Amino acid sequence: MTSGPRLFSILRQGSILIASIHTALDDSQLERFREDLIDRIGRDRAKGVIIDVAALDVVDSFATRTLRGIAEMARLRGAQTVVVGIQPDVAFVIVQLGMDTGSLVTALDLEEGLTHLAATAGASIGPAR
Amino acid sequence: MTGTHDEGPRGVARSEAPRPLDGDEEALLPELVAHLREHRTKLRQEWVSRIREENLLQAMTSQEMSAETTSVYDNYVEVLETGSVAALQQYARDLSERIIPRGVETHEVVGIVLLLRDVLARSLFEKYQRDFGMLNRVLDAYEPAANRIANTVAVSFVDERERVIRQQQDSIRELSTPVLPVRERLLILPIIGVLDRERARQLTVQLLGGIRTHRAKVVVIDITGVPGMDETVANHLVQTVDASRLMGASVIITGLSPDIAQTLVTIGVDLSKMATIGDLQGGLEEAERMLGYAPSRPDGAPMP
Amino acid sequence: MAAAGRADSSRDRPSPAEITALIPLVRRIVASRVPDRATADDLVQETLTRVLAASGRVEPGMLEPYAIVTARNVVASLWRDQDRQRRNQHRVVDLRPPEAPDEDVLVQEDRQAVAEALTRLTDRERATLLAHEVSGQDTRSLAAELGSTAGAVAAQLNRTRARLRVEYLLAVERTEPPTDRCRPVLLAISGGDRRRQREVDAARHLLECDLCARLSEPLMGRGRAREADVRVPVQSDADVVAARSAAREVASGVGFPPTDLTAIATAVSEVTRNIVKFADAGEVVIEVLEEPRRGIRIVARDVGPGIPDVDRALRDGYSTYDGLGLGLPGARRLMDEFAIVSEVGRGTTVTMTKWVGER
Ligand SMILES: [Zn+2]
Repeated sequence: MTSGPRLFSILRQGSILIASIHTALDDSQLERFREDLIDRIGRDRAKGVIIDVAALDVVDSFATRTLRGIAEMARLRGAQTVVVGIQPDVAFVIVQLGMDTGSLVTALDLEEGLTHLAATAGASIGPAR
Repeated sequence: MTGTHDEGPRGVARSEAPRPLDGDEEALLPELVAHLREHRTKLRQEWVSRIREENLLQAMTSQEMSAETTSVYDNYVEVLETGSVAALQQYARDLSERIIPRGVETHEVVGIVLLLRDVLARSLFEKYQRDFGMLNRVLDAYEPAANRIANTVAVSFVDERERVIRQQQDSIRELSTPVLPVRERLLILPIIGVLDRERARQLTVQLLGGIRTHRAKVVVIDITGVPGMDETVANHLVQTVDASRLMGASVIITGLSPDIAQTLVTIGVDLSKMATIGDLQGGLEEAERMLGYAPSRPDGAPMP
Repeated sequence: MAAAGRADSSRDRPSPAEITALIPLVRRIVASRVPDRATADDLVQETLTRVLAASGRVEPGMLEPYAIVTARNVVASLWRDQDRQRRNQHRVVDLRPPEAPDEDVLVQEDRQAVAEALTRLTDRERATLLAHEVSGQDTRSLAAELGSTAGAVAAQLNRTRARLRVEYLLAVERTEPPTDRCRPVLLAISGGDRRRQREVDAARHLLECDLCARLSEPLMGRGRAREADVRVPVQSDADVVAARSAAREVASGVGFPPTDLTAIATAVSEVTRNIVKFADAGEVVIEVLEEPRRGIRIVARDVGPGIPDVDRALRDGYSTYDGLGLGLPGARRLMDEFAIVSEVGRGTTVTMTKWVGER
């Protein structure tokens, strides 16, 4: 799925996909991440998606729009997306940039993201039915 | 071939090729330095007594004074000898770092360096007073070097002092925007007093960092004690609330005065989308109700 | 220590420090022609060895030009070798002859180039320069002859040297510059005059003109111009990440708090992306400011179609492509100062500044 050093990973846990970005990504790498993830959501019939962005030291307009796009595409495929791990400085700058994040569901970290999905999407990391 | 003689970087390296006068002065410096080394003990003592007369460095014990003046003296002579700007700056920084915490003031440090300059100049005067031509040349060599040391020390001291003061201000500010973890996953930020831009910036850093450290899900910011804020600060506050949400925490604002509410409306904040509750007590009750439910929703309102 | 007693004759041979000082210059020249790093390093070594060997014969002021010519020739002879290798690849034995000593040729070429460059000065410039450099006449007596002041003569001499360097390089290249703007740009760079460089928009010209980009390399080393600046060439997506990392690193050295570092990196990301999306090529230059306060200035310039309506591009929601919409206004909100100059058909320059402790 990814070539060269692993820039991101997508793991399936029950009905949830956990997508972790491992390093700063440029725009084309982010696009590949989006395509791979959306592809997996369809194939795995995931109910929930967690995107861990803790490794990103910059989340600019393109990255924010990409995350929003993934969440929207996931929703159309019946999965709910939670973005976790946004760093404090990064969170503030996203807001200062003036990005519309209203539709984006966020949580502190992976654990919180899972709790959220369990409560709202009925998705869990237990065996998929 | 004709020389396109160049005054670029290499020209500088070449400037050691002496103009007659420079060479003469520079050749004198080793002799000067030897003299200052030879009479180190006597000159240093003379310097210390001048410092006492002028009531400088009173915050120091005589032991500290003795250690410090010895070190300054030796460094001073060394810098005279090498003429190295880097060494000089290093020396000045070290000196400032050591003595600023002991409450030494700028005029004192400049004062003692100038005193040392004069003590040494007088000793040179005594040594060469019979040969007036020689005396002039010695002083021509010594004075620019000594003045350069005094200037560098003064500038470095002022810089270092500013840095220390800024650090102290930072830590005071941190205290002035306390983030209180009142119970698991709940933070309270009681803000009292005027919220200026610097303090608002500090508040953001403290709050967002606090959310992560305490894994907070709900934050109550109580601004009952804030008399008012300008539009920039109000905007900053709203941005902080939004950023908190991106970190997965909901923010409740309590104690919003009509004035501040008006400012928020002026800058285009939709108050219906902000969780505002009249007083801190009500805010805490709401927070606990929210914690009873699961996670934050985009609009920061409690889950149904 | 003081050099008072040093014998004058020792000046004839450059010191190791002077040779070492040539390394960045030589490295730039070689690196701009030879992409492979290991090969480039070898060639730098080779050049320095030759310069060192010849240094006794090179006149003091000529060491740098000599190193420049040597570097070029070393690279050229590599190319010749590679050509020969290609031609001879079908033969099993290596027919490359042992390296022929071409230093005499070099010196010859060099002399010709200097002579050629001298003819391109005005008579008065040439006469003054030669009187000063060759006959050793000092600026005061020159000033008396010319009815001028010593300071003015010295300034004139500096300008003449700057021109001579430019003409020398052009002569060595055996080429005439392609545009009217080339000479003023090269002169401003050669003289190390930053104000003049801004006036003639030298940085943009270097993006547009290959010849000047190449010639500016050896010239840049001497003016103090932009030695502290960090320059990131921008062409692809990956360069956006490189530019913002570089900006973060510089800003961190300036003493910005962490939130500001993220803001600066993000703003750089936005403006750099516009270069990749819209322009053919561009660069991001990061500069540390000391006056009136500490700060950082970022200039992103590109050679491209330009923005027809800058005001509109700065409004939220404008989008020719999915992305310009927030890029520029967002970046503006993150910085303290923000300016765009754009010329349709030529390109865009975004200049943004942030001060330590603002806001
Ligand atoms: Zn050109």
